[in-house]
Amino acid sequence: MIEIQNLSFGYKKRNLLYKNLNLKLEVGSIYGLLGKNGAGKSTLLKNFIGLLFPTSGNIAVNGFIPKKRWPAFLETIYFIPEEVYVPALTIDGYKNLFAPFYPKFNDEQFYSYLDQLDVKDKGKLNSLSFGQQKKFIIAFALACNTRVLLLDEPTNGLDIPSKIKFRKLIASVFTDDKLIFISTHQIRDLDNLIDRVIIVDNGELLLNASVGDIAERLCFKTVSELERPDEILYSEESLKGFSVVTKNINAEDSKVNLEHLFNAITEKPVIAKAIFKN
Amino acid sequence: MSNTFNLKRFGLLFKKTLLEKPMQMFGFTGLIFLFILIVYYIIKTFVNFQVAQNVSFLWGLVGGDFILASFVFNYFSSTAGGSSYLTLPVSNLEKWLCAVLIAAILYPLIFMIFYRVMDAGFVAAYHNSLDPNGPFYKIRYDSVYLFSFTGRLPRIVYPMFLIFSGLMLIGSLYFNKVALVKTALAVCILFFGLYGLNYLFAEFMFSNIDDAFPFQHVAILVGKEVGSVELPKNVHDPVWYFINYGLPVILWGVSFIRLREKEF
Repeated sequence: MIEIQNLSFGYKKRNLLYKNLNLKLEVGSIYGLLGKNGAGKSTLLKNFIGLLFPTSGNIAVNGFIPKKRWPAFLETIYFIPEEVYVPALTIDGYKNLFAPFYPKFNDEQFYSYLDQLDVKDKGKLNSLSFGQQKKFIIAFALACNTRVLLLDEPTNGLDIPSKIKFRKLIASVFTDDKLIFISTHQIRDLDNLIDRVIIVDNGELLLNASVGDIAERLCFKTVSELERPDEILYSEESLKGFSVVTKNINAEDSKVNLEHLFNAITEKPVIAKAIFKN
Repeated sequence: MSNTFNLKRFGLLFKKTLLEKPMQMFGFTGLIFLFILIVYYIIKTFVNFQVAQNVSFLWGLVGGDFILASFVFNYFSSTAGGSSYLTLPVSNLEKWLCAVLIAAILYPLIFMIFYRVMDAGFVAAYHNSLDPNGPFYKIRYDSVYLFSFTGRLPRIVYPMFLIFSGLMLIGSLYFNKVALVKTALAVCILFFGLYGLNYLFAEFMFSNIDDAFPFQHVAILVGKEVGSVELPKNVHDPVWYFINYGLPVILWGVSFIRLREKEF
């Protein structure tokens, strides 16, 4: 579980990126953190793992204070940054040197995940393509069986088949005692994967809601004409008319479009906050 | 398991550190030793044995360890490398102790074994090359002898090695990219800054300055003679103890604090 109380963080003390952020993330969910470039997504993840320290406020992850970087804490969390680090070792060499630090590491799972992600043993890891290196680290991270898994732009560098395999794998390994937190600006890659959406913009938390809750409160549909524009949070011209996001007044069933949701929330943050209040 | 120190975990970290980048660790150590061998050979051929022994010992221990120490925390040149290192489930103390073990214990130990073998080889070769029946055999034989690790120069070099490697460890935690070059530059600026400042102070207090070395002496020209003004004993001793023992402890301690507080 991740609990944030009044978190303020800035690379410069006078220019805070986050001010008094409060957030509670429970195990048993796959969270998608959405935000524009430079919105502070990676910064938030780095605060969770203890690579950056809050200017003020508290963060507790699995009951630990990340800043202290205690081994007992780091054994329970794995962070995959946007660019991954692989030394000049073979797959087995890497596993032999790094896996012993993770008590729940599972060899069988590791090789199975490599197979599912189509990572072939072709000598030294640093000679693999960026996508292959990333898939290797994803397989390793999942085999570590940590309670919390943080992924920063995990699909960057992956080709389309790999993105599909990645989604399938994450969905298959997820269990109720885990918390997976995925940060991305490639919103479509998270379709059908996440069950909670967090949107940050300008250092502010604009949305923290489950996909079910979003579908209940917002309606995503295509209309031929824009009626009552004041009720529309977001609209986009499409082949069949206009794709719109509106408040779900008539309790209509619609599929959440993450891209449209993101645009709606960031363009009309005040209205969106009012809709999701309570 | 303790969050401060665990022997098994420390062993795993040590193994990982050595085997993760074997070419960097062992390759550069080998290159340093080769360089020292060449330096020794050239100087003993063109100058003399004593200078060769002194120069190669100084550069091998201080210079070599300075370079090697830059590899111990050499993870921060990329975001991925730094993240991987700092988030590895090992305590800050264990990471720091691993650096201490490599830079302050293992390298000097291996270097001194190498140095002894190299020195003994060159000295023996020299002794064997002499004609026992030739004139001045005894004098020539006795003029070249094994370098003493407890002599005057090594006693100056040991604290220097600890100070420089401590500076390098701090530098590699402050400068994420090309830490070796940046730290070397910073050390040069610090040294010449201190030297210049000391010289200015000396000039302010004395006239006809010949030379002035920080925390040691001021040489003054008196007519054609050079006189040395040295620190009085009651000042010299605390300064000497501070430089030899206090400063290395402070620098290595700062590197631990810097590692613990490192954000990336």
